[in-house]
Amino acid sequence: MNVSYSWLKDHVDLQGITPEEVAKALTFAGAEVEGITRMASGTNLVIGQVLTCVPHPDSDHLHILTVDEGSFGTFQIVCGAPNARQGLKVIVARVGAKLPQIEIKASTIRGVESNGMCCSLLELGVDPKFLSEYQKAGIEELPEDAPVGETDVLGYLGLDDAVLELSLLPNRPDLYALENVAKEVGCLFQRKVTLEEVKDVPTVFPSCEVGSETKGCTLFCARVVKGVKTHESPKWLQRLLSASGIRSINNVVDIGNYVMLLTGQPLNMYDADKLPLASLIVRDDLEGDFVAMDGQTYKLQEGDLVVTSDGKPMCLAGIMTAEACMVDENTKNIVVEAAYFEGAPIRHTSNRLGLVSDSSQRFCKGVNPHQSEYVQCLTSELLVRLCEAEEVGETVLFDVIDHTPHRLDVTLDYVNGRLGTSFTLGQVSETLLRAGFVNVVEGKTLHVTVPPQRIDVDGKADLTEEVIRILGYENVPSTLPTLSLCLTGLTPKQKAERSLRRHLTYSGLDEVVTYTLQSKQELEYFNYLTKAEAYVLQNPMTVEREAVRRNLAHSLLSLASYNANRQAKSGRFFEVSDIDAIGVQGRHLCVVFFGDRPVRPGEKASPYDYYDAKGVFDSIMESLSIQLGRYQLAPWSLGGEEMHPYQTAEVRLGKQLLGYFGTLHPNACKRYGLKNAVLLELDLDALLGIKVSPIKAKAPSRFPFVERDLALLVPTKVDYESLRKELLRADPLIVSVDVFDLYQGEGIEEGYRSIAVRLTLLSEEKTLSEEQVSASVKKALDGVAVRYGAKLRQ
Amino acid sequence: MEEIVTKALSLRIEALEALSHVQDEKGLEEFYVQYLAKKGLIPGLMTLMREAQDKAAFGAAVNSARTDVTAKYEEKKQVLAKAKLEAKLASERIDLTLPGQPCLPGRVNPYRLVIDEVVDLFLDMGYEVCEGRDVETDKFNFELLNVPKDHPSRDMQDTFYFGDDYLLRTQTSAAQAHKMLEMERKRPIRMIAPGKAYRRDDDDMTHSHQFAQIEGLVVDKGISLAHLKATLELFAKKMFGEKREIRLRSSYFPFTEPSVEVDVSCFNCGGKGCAMCKGTGWIEILGAGMVNPRVLEACGYDPEEYSGFAFGVGVERVAMLRYGIDDIRRIYQNDFRFLKPFSIK
Repeated sequence: MNVSYSWLKDHVDLQGITPEEVAKALTFAGAEVEGITRMASGTNLVIGQVLTCVPHPDSDHLHILTVDEGSFGTFQIVCGAPNARQGLKVIVARVGAKLPQIEIKASTIRGVESNGMCCSLLELGVDPKFLSEYQKAGIEELPEDAPVGETDVLGYLGLDDAVLELSLLPNRPDLYALENVAKEVGCLFQRKVTLEEVKDVPTVFPSCEVGSETKGCTLFCARVVKGVKTHESPKWLQRLLSASGIRSINNVVDIGNYVMLLTGQPLNMYDADKLPLASLIVRDDLEGDFVAMDGQTYKLQEGDLVVTSDGKPMCLAGIMTAEACMVDENTKNIVVEAAYFEGAPIRHTSNRLGLVSDSSQRFCKGVNPHQSEYVQCLTSELLVRLCEAEEVGETVLFDVIDHTPHRLDVTLDYVNGRLGTSFTLGQVSETLLRAGFVNVVEGKTLHVTVPPQRIDVDGKADLTEEVIRILGYENVPSTLPTLSLCLTGLTPKQKAERSLRRHLTYSGLDEVVTYTLQSKQELEYFNYLTKAEAYVLQNPMTVEREAVRRNLAHSLLSLASYNANRQAKSGRFFEVSDIDAIGVQGRHLCVVFFGDRPVRPGEKASPYDYYDAKGVFDSIMESLSIQLGRYQLAPWSLGGEEMHPYQTAEVRLGKQLLGYFGTLHPNACKRYGLKNAVLLELDLDALLGIKVSPIKAKAPSRFPFVERDLALLVPTKVDYESLRKELLRADPLIVSVDVFDLYQGEGIEEGYRSIAVRLTLLSEEKTLSEEQVSASVKKALDGVAVRYGAKLRQ
Repeated sequence: MEEIVTKALSLRIEALEALSHVQDEKGLEEFYVQYLAKKGLIPGLMTLMREAQDKAAFGAAVNSARTDVTAKYEEKKQVLAKAKLEAKLASERIDLTLPGQPCLPGRVNPYRLVIDEVVDLFLDMGYEVCEGRDVETDKFNFELLNVPKDHPSRDMQDTFYFGDDYLLRTQTSAAQAHKMLEMERKRPIRMIAPGKAYRRDDDDMTHSHQFAQIEGLVVDKGISLAHLKATLELFAKKMFGEKREIRLRSSYFPFTEPSVEVDVSCFNCGGKGCAMCKGTGWIEILGAGMVNPRVLEACGYDPEEYSGFAFGVGVERVAMLRYGIDDIRRIYQNDFRFLKPFSIK
């Protein structure tokens, strides 16, 4: 909403208040002024008259002028405008003038001295949309009676206005009316407000009927005005409209826009002679084509509010008139409509058809339904005054709106309690009155009447807002609440997650955050963990982001790819994120490694591999105190060409897949343009849901332990964990088994590999003798020999 | 003086003289063999005892020679050992400036740094942390928050829909409704809910279709705007510096009444006006207000008995302001070069 400062000044006393001060006050009171634009600007301007005009000897288009600048004297100016001629009155920017784009200096143009510049309005910063092609092509031609020597050129032109650009929030649709902005400004500065004084014109018996057959229209008010003459609007009206961002069309249309800007009530005008019947009925059950005044055809459907005459659509209610009955230069008789349409149907139709107008925007946001009679009177008076209307019909009205003023009761305690203030009853009452809320004080209660334009105010909390926004939020004291003592803080699960994130960070992994939305195709990538149906957007913005991801692997690998493409040689990072799919609310942890492990100078580089993921996985389980046994690791069984089939482990909790980790399949590496990558993704919710036994301390044995190293030849198909378990099982004295060397190849039988392990033996009761140790080791060897065919390497 | 005694005395002098010329451990070893070992010259003197007439004087001379030389020898031995160690250490000189064994902690995306810090601040104030969901229902995202269907304020937030009822939440305020409804006996609430939100905005330097907010909610008897103001003042000081002040501007959110925008005095220029605050001295950081009585009522709290305040902090906005990030998209790109300075706090 653009508000002309000078128009505002017509309605509220702004003596000594600058546009900037108005803007600041409005902004703090809840109507943000996003900017202030001057209609035009320029210093050192003067009205001059061209005394002589001769062609420049050295140019085919420049002229040399001598210009009379009144008391300043006569100056020579070189001018390039095609319309420069002797006798013309012009705007001169004198030497030293500052225009929006340039600063004027004395200069020599192709050998001829030039002291100043004759200006076009474009050069003074006037928006080109308000200028004719002729005005844009040359210098501005001032009327013959323009006073030479006048320095208040912008004032003379009526271009000394400033436009406040209001960015209105949905709670203040009333401020789409200049009158209400004036009231608001008057209230904030405690200045006198003068509204348009309406003298109704004499009316004759009406010659039109109106009605509504839909809930979408609860008020329809019309007047038939005859014998209007269409022509150009007076200058003051043109200026006022252009300052408000609306182009002047003709006097009839301009009056409609003027009244809308002033009162917030959109008007519609019909050419009465083009209506099939002298009847306007609002309906919402029409289907078929509608040709609007923009020449386009729109398909109507049930629910669209349409103003009909003899069953034919004459107007897409509140949005746009039909071409068939629009007002044009030949129009003589008109019907003026001031109606109230519900915002919802207008919004639906407007959105569906992509058709937005000043009128539809106002209806969508909410229009004051209590002023139609006032609006009609105002319009009639203007039509008589500016369009020489001959005859005005009485108002015809369909109205099922309750116009009883809205009353609210509020107590002083409520106001002060909600705001934390200690205002007096008098202050509150007076402040509300300033904002137009007439009120009566009874005890500590105020009986408040809401002004009709404030359709947003519907509860006593709203009144507290009125009080504080007018008196200023700086009047709110600052007091920390005293809160009752109770147990709060992070839940155990939140704590565990936070520790886990910290653990990973301190382990050297970067924590990242990526987008939730991905393409439908990407949904199928790494689709192992959360397989429920994905949420797919009804109204995506792009195909790249149309569904909610069900895993993090693709996002993180894409991130690896992004960085690899920017010369990153390696990376290790993780993300913890919510996962939503239909019927599933979960949380995943994903870790990605790519490239080489960090090394010191001189050390050999080695790429990240499966064991990096396993190391992270083991450390996660360790930090959560979940022991192997509570979960199982199994070889990859899920197929696909995303994970390496022989270098990926599934983490299972019984039948439930808890996650997986391993090396990326070469084909998947190719998809992301990575040489190598290692991935881990876990269902964090499930993981953190595993119950762990509380920590139990154990006193260390008083006796020394004994270590025995064994080099075992083990068939290659036997995995280390099976071997380890079997060795541990052999004898209770064996308390731990640790692998320290692996070898396969020359000197080792085909089908076998050498696994060197260290057994630790310990008794809680005595120092172990050599015989006891040997007996235990023998048991262990026998056990793995029988179970797995492992033997001692000779 | 008997000659033999003189001999003992001069052997002492000779030995000490020889010892002073010893340069290294090998020389010291040779010295020891020559003078102090069992068959060395000094113990060898004792064989002459019987030749001595004044046995006491001779004995004393030999003993003093042995004691003195041994003491000096030990002294020398220590000096040489120390020198040897010094030399060894010197030979172990390394380049102190080479990179260390890699064990740096990872970087943390500024988005997470801000969330963790704000959450910690409110945890310290006795708030609890609630977690909302990305996919919400129309009821929780809009209706319970006083945004009925066709309400004009729905236009403020262009929403991603999955159908009539399901959508990506447009604000973390949805967590308010969840919390209030799940409180069995309607007890006081003080919670903070960090989370993601989504709007149909084109991604550019300052807009992102995905962003994060931290929602705060306090509901109790007698909660007022003054409580909100003090809480946010504390927040501004902790996040942006002790000297910061805040100011409230009237605004509108359907779920609060009154609603305010909160500005913090510019931490770049201290309020004098600079490019960061566009010359105003103030920077907008969050939206807040008193919980709309309609929201309380819809969520089962009697607005005549309870009141509350709520606020929503834009995580990326805070991160961008604090760290001077020029483009919101950088946060989601996770370019390693960008993440480099963001270490864990």
